[in-house]
Amino acid sequence: MGRRYGRRRPWVLRGISLEVPPGTLVRVEGGNGGGKSTLLRVVAGVDAPTEGRVGGRPKRTAYVPERFPVALPLTALSYLTHLGRVHGLGRAEAVRRATHWLERFGAAGHARTPMAELSKGTSQKVAVAQALLAGPELLVLDEAWTGLDAAARRELDLAVAERTAAGASVVFVDHDPARLAGVPDAHHRLEGTSLVPVAPSGTAGPRVRIRAAAPPGGVLPPDLAGRPGPDGVVVLTVDAARSDKVLRILLGARPPWHVCTVEELP
Amino acid sequence: MTALLRYQAALLLRSQRWLAPCVAYAAFVAVGIRPGDPVLDSLGYAAAGLLPFAAWLVRICADNEPRAARDCAAAAAGPVRVQAAALLTGLVGALIAGALGSGAAFLLGDRAGTTTSAAAVAGGLVTAVCALTGASVGALCARPLLRRRGLGVLTAALGSLLALVLAPSPAHGAVSALATGARSGSTPLPLTALAVALALAGAAGTVACLAAERRG
Repeated sequence: MGRRYGRRRPWVLRGISLEVPPGTLVRVEGGNGGGKSTLLRVVAGVDAPTEGRVGGRPKRTAYVPERFPVALPLTALSYLTHLGRVHGLGRAEAVRRATHWLERFGAAGHARTPMAELSKGTSQKVAVAQALLAGPELLVLDEAWTGLDAAARRELDLAVAERTAAGASVVFVDHDPARLAGVPDAHHRLEGTSLVPVAPSGTAGPRVRIRAAAPPGGVLPPDLAGRPGPDGVVVLTVDAARSDKVLRILLGARPPWHVCTVEELP
Repeated sequence: MTALLRYQAALLLRSQRWLAPCVAYAAFVAVGIRPGDPVLDSLGYAAAGLLPFAAWLVRICADNEPRAARDCAAAAAGPVRVQAAALLTGLVGALIAGALGSGAAFLLGDRAGTTTSAAAVAGGLVTAVCALTGASVGALCARPLLRRRGLGVLTAALGSLLALVLAPSPAHGAVSALATGARSGSTPLPLTALAVALALAGAAGTVACLAAERRG
């Protein structure tokens, strides 16, 4: 597909072909003003492509825009409830999930604050919460981590892993190359107006899969990215060169994690 | 769609941007309608004032939601439905205001030369015609078709004026039919004008909604 903003304007995207199978995490990178946001808007269905088409988008699609300091005349909870209902939830369920996600991102105290009075960071938490509260089958994140505090960033990493584990597709852009490093199933880079696949970062060395169980109440230490696996364990896939360090972090966490298996991937 | 309408209505009501057009319309009705005037004249007057009000209110609704919030809603429900909900919210608001304005005209007017039910039906039809025509003007003079605020306000004002004075406009036809009816003692039934206004509103709404998807 291709996209341009007006007949006499240059093409922002041209000849793009991207497949996002269910349950995959896709990273898109590229320079500033390189069309990343345009691509994500088309993927999310906010904009239609100028040529070509986008097919098979799931019914429940959610999008977190690049900037979300919106001056809406609603409170955070009321906005989220309205969006939950737009996503097709019933009223009670929408309120319940809105409260749940505000709590998870540490913004429960701002539920009754008018949106116009929220700080930039809290606004961003509301933006992320509106996307997650419907349990989307396609989640599109445009620099969604920017502006969040460390705890909320970890929570969003975890939420992304939960969504992909539940079979949803997640497409994201982030300026931080370490964001979810090693986790994405596919990695693309925008060069000019076209999209080229990027080989996995660890092409040179073998990869190691670590399955670890969390201690009661334990959260994944910062700097680590994993996805929930079956029977409650967390699966971390890392470069072999980094695996010893990851194991040390897990075992050295307070309280320590239990490492179930370590296996080298072919 | 119901959830989107509810959301748009909440945005409109809480933004309080509806206050200015409502005050203007209320003043227009209060100044121009006196007890004892012929009821058809008063109904036509109230409906004519409703046209720019509807354009104004629909423009407010179409521009009311900040872009980031609109994008989130568009991902959830599709940009076409988000735009349609905004336009419909404005139209419903205009119909409510129109019902109040024509209700006042109907209760205060002198019903000599017509029957109560005939006047009520004619007033209702003309109100609907003017609300639909005004909403069409508003939809065409707002985001996403016209993004610049000054230009949008200017074209909406001009468009409303032209919709009232130009002969092909359904609003002009319906309002002048009421005025003629008041002179001749017959009560018109502007069904053709209503059909034209419905078609016009449908076309204007479709153009605006499709543009919402194309232009974001």
